[in-house]
Amino acid sequence: MSLWVNYLDQILLYASLALSLNLLLGYAGQVSVAHAAFGAIGGYAMAYTTLSHGWNFLLGTLLGMVLAFVIGTLVALPALKLTVEYLILLTLAVSSVIIGLLVAIPQFGGTYGLINLPSANLFGWHLRSPYDWLLPALLSMVIVYAICHRVGESPVGRVLKGIREDPVATEALGKNVFAYKVTVFGMTSALAAFSGAMLAAWLRLATPGVFGFAFSLTVFAIVIFGGMANLNGTILGAAIVVLLEPVLRRVVRIEAAKASLVQLIVYGVALAILMRVRPQGALPEGFSLWRRIRGERAPKARVEMAADWVPETVQHVGEHVDDQLPVSEVVRRDHVWHDAPVVLETRGVSKRFGGIVAAHELDIELRRGTITALVGPNGAGKTTVFNLLTGAIPPDSGTIKLNGDELVGLDPDRVARKGMVRSFQDVRLFNRLSCLQNVMMAVQGQPGENFATLAFRHGKVKGAEEETRDKAMGWLRFVGMGEFANVPAGALSYGQTKLISLARVLATEADVLLLDEPASGIDTKWVDTMLELIEQVRDRGRTVCVVEHNLHVVGRLADHTYFMELGQITAEGTIAELTNDRRLAEVYFGTT
Amino acid sequence: MLALTFETFRQLTVNGFFRGCAYGLLGVGFALILGVTGRFHFAYGFTYTLAAYLAFTLTFRAFSWPFWPSAILGVLLAACAGAAIERGVYRPLAKNAGATALLAVFVASLGIGIAGENLIRLLWGSETQAYFGPTQTTIDWWGVTFINFDWWQAIAAIVITAALAAMLRYTALGRRIKATRVNPDLAKAIGIDADKTYVIVFFLGTICAGVASFFYAVKYTVDPAMGTLPITYAFVVAFLGGTARSPIRVFLMGIVVSLIEQYASIWLSVQYTQTAVFVVLVGYLTYLAIRSSAFMAKFNKAGRPTPVVPSTAAEV
Repeated sequence: MSLWVNYLDQILLYASLALSLNLLLGYAGQVSVAHAAFGAIGGYAMAYTTLSHGWNFLLGTLLGMVLAFVIGTLVALPALKLTVEYLILLTLAVSSVIIGLLVAIPQFGGTYGLINLPSANLFGWHLRSPYDWLLPALLSMVIVYAICHRVGESPVGRVLKGIREDPVATEALGKNVFAYKVTVFGMTSALAAFSGAMLAAWLRLATPGVFGFAFSLTVFAIVIFGGMANLNGTILGAAIVVLLEPVLRRVVRIEAAKASLVQLIVYGVALAILMRVRPQGALPEGFSLWRRIRGERAPKARVEMAADWVPETVQHVGEHVDDQLPVSEVVRRDHVWHDAPVVLETRGVSKRFGGIVAAHELDIELRRGTITALVGPNGAGKTTVFNLLTGAIPPDSGTIKLNGDELVGLDPDRVARKGMVRSFQDVRLFNRLSCLQNVMMAVQGQPGENFATLAFRHGKVKGAEEETRDKAMGWLRFVGMGEFANVPAGALSYGQTKLISLARVLATEADVLLLDEPASGIDTKWVDTMLELIEQVRDRGRTVCVVEHNLHVVGRLADHTYFMELGQITAEGTIAELTNDRRLAEVYFGTT
Repeated sequence: MLALTFETFRQLTVNGFFRGCAYGLLGVGFALILGVTGRFHFAYGFTYTLAAYLAFTLTFRAFSWPFWPSAILGVLLAACAGAAIERGVYRPLAKNAGATALLAVFVASLGIGIAGENLIRLLWGSETQAYFGPTQTTIDWWGVTFINFDWWQAIAAIVITAALAAMLRYTALGRRIKATRVNPDLAKAIGIDADKTYVIVFFLGTICAGVASFFYAVKYTVDPAMGTLPITYAFVVAFLGGTARSPIRVFLMGIVVSLIEQYASIWLSVQYTQTAVFVVLVGYLTYLAIRSSAFMAKFNKAGRPTPVVPSTAAEV
């Protein structure tokens, strides 16, 4: 019996280490194979201070957590810019360096490690038997679970998932992706050190073998088995991985020496099969047994409908401007544009990529309550203009002023927070998040997106979250997608994603909206809906700039139009003026 | 501080060169696989181990075959296993996983690596076994010593690397591989069977691992965990050399890494030398990260982050 209790302790301690990895891997999408090495920092700090200085193990644990936080944060700094394979390699190298250093420091016992630790003393209670450990192990898992749950299922967690799905889009919505990544890396490293110290205290040793690369992989496997971004799954995963060996040995009755090998073979093969048949793991993201029992099923029917619903024929609305606006309307619009105050102004913005001039001396004005269109043939550099304006690409020269504030040199998230937000030509929704969450992500100034507020001001966060939800819901309804609030964005048709993308941009309540081909590639009837929505936005006093190919769309929307060729603005005026210019028409259509 | 005599330096350089040939070969194989197929093939270490065990078994356990034929057959069989992993596991998985293919393949290859190593333990036992080959002789060149296996390994490694480089450069197959490496979809569009190319690449890459493994085994021993360390060196060398670069460049990087390791042993105790290699790697990755943000490789026109890769242009 005591043996099974021991396994239970082991499950709890493994789970507590894997939970924090799930926050990093499952929620934030950062693939780290160094988690056990951070556990080693905690384990060694605890073991060394206990053995050599007679510290209480909790104090040593705390020291380990601080060290791991610092090291984890430092590791995250270069990790920010790296793609997945480089991140795997970097964490592999970091893991080797940490373990290598621990082995190389003679005070830490070399390859033998630190052994024969005194039994842990928890405020006078000596933890000796597996039974003694049951409660502390449970407690440490509950603490880690609570922290990971608090962070993961909160506005911060939403941002982390956004980073996992699409860091560029997350940054464009005003989130400081860099700070989030660094913080979550540091935080999960500290949590790993905590769990590692507990594990070492339970084992009463800290050796390089215990915390080696193989253990990192085990912890990694636990998260994958259980399901990424599902904390309950991680506990289940820990139970599966830990219990496999004793079950094989005692129930299937494989001899002891072979059981551990068969266990590893089984779980290695299971990993490979799992990736094929159920890559989301045992308990997928968002799965909750509790909700299942209460009968709240995932909105499956709705998803199917959304996926099946594809516009019958995707038509490109006439490329020719047959239905010209009445002249009086054109004059009126022109008038409005001339009187409106300038919100965004660029002067002499240029950008070169090697020998290619992507943008040359751009002077653009966006005016309040008007829609400005940027048209031009493919490759003219229209999207590059958006990249320059939002700081995604720093210009070589020139100034960009939003309400008089200089934007050049600011990162995309800062630009977004200053009040200029863009949408993307390729939409870039967060596919595994619901439509509502996609839009909620865009709401600015959420107190729950701050780690400190999240930790200490529960009431404030909760209230704000309600507010955010209402706001986001409002914007979803505004674009007519309220019904789809709980549908994952990945299940939508293309036209629907464009609407959600619009709602997401609107929910930022930014002053200036840059819309990259909001109506391209969608069905005719969607186009009308979309254009009406954009007009309504303008009428609410927002400043809008659209990049658009479709001159019908431009003709209807634009109060002022810039014509771009090869990175330069070669003409501006009303769309009527531009289309009457034979040369521009030729450049644009290729025919006369 | 140890006195560094010229003799020591000379010996370390020669040691570094011979060891480096193994690292280089491992790196060449891994870089070929990762660069062309984009699969983070962690089970590379398993196929490495498998090659030595198969060669060993053919001579000493199963058929008592002569030494060299079984060595060649062992390597080829392991290469088939590598190709089979691509065909049977990675390919269906990657097609299924779509955008998250890299992570899915990594996890699956992790699983295969773990399962494979333990399968070897189960079949052949966990203990280290001696691999008796031709007599080991020591060669002495003006006071620098090395053994005949070192010499053969260096020749084999250089020949294979050169052959691979020549194949990539001059043959139709090589052009196919390079086309697939640059753009698999476009390669498909012009009639190249990318799937088949991937399988071939896995076969070729695993041969590199197998040859390195065989020479390690005859020089030392075979044991089930022998693939653990080489795989990390393969990663390091492949990434430092550049996965989309010429095998020759990757091979030379292997020698550089090995030399760093050897020279580090002058000032550092043996335990630190491996760490030194990884410190260099962390430094390099940090440099890459900083460079990518300083220069503008961060976003291309569509606002999509450009993957950080040492070289954007394929060279060969």
